Amino acid sequence: MMLGTVQSGFGYWNVYAWIVFFALAAVLVFYFRSAGRSDYKVGTYQDEIFYGGNPVPKDGDEIAVPASSAYWGFTEALSPFYKLLLSLHTGIASDYVGYLVVTTALISALIVL
Amino acid sequence: MNWQIHLPALLIAVPLLGAFAAPAFANRRLRDVWFTVMIAATTVIAFLLWRRVGTEGIVVYVMGGENWRLTLPSGMKLPIRIIMEVDAFSAFMALSGSIVSFAGAIFSLRFLDRTTGGEKFVALYFLLTAGMLGMETTGDLFNFFVFLEIASVASYGLIAFWRNTPEAIEASFKYMLLSTIAALMVLIGVGILYGRYGALNMAAIAKSMRLGLPEKVALALFVAALAMKCGAVPLHMWVPDAYSQAPAGISCFLVSVSQASLYGLFRISFSVYGRALDTPAVAWIIIVFGILSMFIAVVMAVIQKEVKRLMAYHAVSQTGYMLLGVGVGLLALTHPQAMSEYGFTAMQGGIFHIINHAMYKGLLFLTAGSIFYASGTLDLNRLGGLARNMPYTTVMFVVSAAAIAGLPPVNGFVSKLLVYESSFAVHPILTVMALVTSILTLASFVKVFQSAFLGPARARFSEVREVPRSMLVGMTVLLVAILWLSFMPTWSLSKLVGPAAQALVDQAGYIEAIMRSGL
Repeated sequence: MMLGTVQSGFGYWNVYAWIVFFALAAVLVFYFRSAGRSDYKVGTYQDEIFYGGNPVPKDGDEIAVPASSAYWGFTEALSPFYKLLLSLHTGIASDYVGYLVVTTALISALIVL
Repeated sequence: MNWQIHLPALLIAVPLLGAFAAPAFANRRLRDVWFTVMIAATTVIAFLLWRRVGTEGIVVYVMGGENWRLTLPSGMKLPIRIIMEVDAFSAFMALSGSIVSFAGAIFSLRFLDRTTGGEKFVALYFLLTAGMLGMETTGDLFNFFVFLEIASVASYGLIAFWRNTPEAIEASFKYMLLSTIAALMVLIGVGILYGRYGALNMAAIAKSMRLGLPEKVALALFVAALAMKCGAVPLHMWVPDAYSQAPAGISCFLVSVSQASLYGLFRISFSVYGRALDTPAVAWIIIVFGILSMFIAVVMAVIQKEVKRLMAYHAVSQTGYMLLGVGVGLLALTHPQAMSEYGFTAMQGGIFHIINHAMYKGLLFLTAGSIFYASGTLDLNRLGGLARNMPYTTVMFVVSAAAIAGLPPVNGFVSKLLVYESSFAVHPILTVMALVTSILTLASFVKVFQSAFLGPARARFSEVREVPRSMLVGMTVLLVAILWLSFMPTWSLSKLVGPAAQALVDQAGYIEAIMRSGL
């Protein structure tokens, strides 16, 4: 068996090939980074973030996108599905016991019948 | 006499000693030393036991007998004593669980400095370790129930450890309520089999197993109860509450403890019932549990705004891969051609995912604990820019998030690849669901990375610093394990996963190890 090669029965995969790939990518990244200019003047406008021409807020909170806004389109598109899922996650212990009882009954029926 | 013959007993005795002596260590420094030494000893014992099983095959240990190997004394037809039976699957689970237990304990040392009652924490932690390891190494159904209860009771205390927060008490109560019902179901199942066969030993029952109505009812009770304990959808509701409210070291360890229930489900399905199962219903139930767990939980994870709660849903989702992989293996169990074509690969994928998940999800929970320790919040809407202040934690998070998302070359990819390709042979929709789950997993961890670690610096976190060294050491243990599993996939499959999958398939070998030991 070749070192690092995983045979799945349907194909194979080699971890070291990927590591070589990442190493080459890293070399390219560092090369491009080193090609950048380092003679900018620290502490001047050259060193500032461009924020649409406006003054950059001091606290990051004012320019950050909150996590609750992430994947808004995805959750909005699936809102009926999410409504159903959230209605099942009631947080009420007796509901959870009910799910356990119903699932057990269903499993029993499937196995016994 | 070679002391290593007592490894199965020591695996339980050492953490039990750790638990019962812990209340005597009121001094914090002594308590920390005791905690570290005893949990390290347990891990070393688990490693030695795994190595012994690898070289000698199934290890059988009879407690209280005149001979540690004599399972059938004085012409008895059935084994009666407390018997531990450690095959490659048991040893694999014990090794995986004890590594996570060690990492969680080291991480928890500095956490305990911020609270009182640390010795109670240590005692419960050791009890949880003993319960988990006992479940994974016992050869007896009733003892399995006893260890399940030991682990459960310790879990109730640890989940509610921040007892001044009502959410923690509520989470513990919900888990206790569901666990008690599940434990009763397991006990009734054990009682049914004892009534039918007059035996509690798994191998002895398996040898006589004839699938009638009582056996089917018992199996249904086992499957439902253990699926609840391992957090399979739709019985997963306790998981987000419990994992998010427990201290981070406990959340990390609870992943492995839940896997002990998964172990029980697989052990009973393969080793106790195994080839007596004349219906594919059980395999399909496990596969459907897997698909539901993967998809529903990851969809729920995407919308979470609290780091540990999001990770808890992912713990459920990742359990789905294990259920799918091993479920496909169970489906192929009585069909040799299907087993050789895709069943065994699926089992290898599912079992490899067990150890992969234990390591990267454990590390993810520890990084969440580090974020909370340093910043005082886990709210993704408030977090941000922490990569500047916590570079080591950031690296740990990136590696473990890549692993859980199944990004090559990290370990999660290999196990998922095996599950994808083998489940495709059963039905393409299984693979599609698994792939979609993986994409959504990546999406939700990109969200956590972006929200907590990237972005502009927040003024309120200007004083935040990297967590203490012992917490980094705890995380590093799991990081090293992830890197080892990632960069040594052939070794992992041939030495760790392959023998474990083979042991699970080899029901005759499991039975013979007990039934021949009396000769």
